[in-house]
Amino acid sequence: MDSFSSPSRSSSGSTPNPEVVMEQIKEQLAQAYAQEFLETVGTKCFDKCVTKPGSSLSGSEGSCISRCVDRYIEATGIVSRALFSAGPQR
Amino acid sequence: MDNADMQRFLQQEQQKAMMGEMVGKLTSVCWDKCITGTPGSKFTSGESTCLTNCAQRFLDMTMIIAKRFEMQ
Repeated sequence: MDSFSSPSRSSSGSTPNPEVVMEQIKEQLAQAYAQEFLETVGTKCFDKCVTKPGSSLSGSEGSCISRCVDRYIEATGIVSRALFSAGPQR
Repeated sequence: MDNADMQRFLQQEQQKAMMGEMVGKLTSVCWDKCITGTPGSKFTSGESTCLTNCAQRFLDMTMIIAKRFEMQ
């Protein structure tokens, strides 16, 4: 990749370095993705594991939640493979 | 790094985002359909097969719907 050829800069503000912009875009997308993922997992696992909210989260609810999160991550992998690789079950 | 490079980068990122969104949406739909009990420490083979089938059938359905609208 060639760097910026023109060394001149406008006085009103430096031209943003495209590499930096690209990094920022990637970072923000990753962050948005993570946030959405967390939100979804939270909703799904709350549905599954906290069926009758008590005065505190019980131990069994807690372990259900951690299993649920693991399974949800696994499910995401399974779905992704089913979509993007010509799976053996096709 | 020129404009075309940036354009290409943006297109790639957009495509990745679309795929990610699709995976996320399908995971949500198929999770609801396939995981009926409380999540265990491992998926049963029935559950993981259901997830795979669910995702692939959703694709089939998308094709059918697309064709249906092409015919008009």
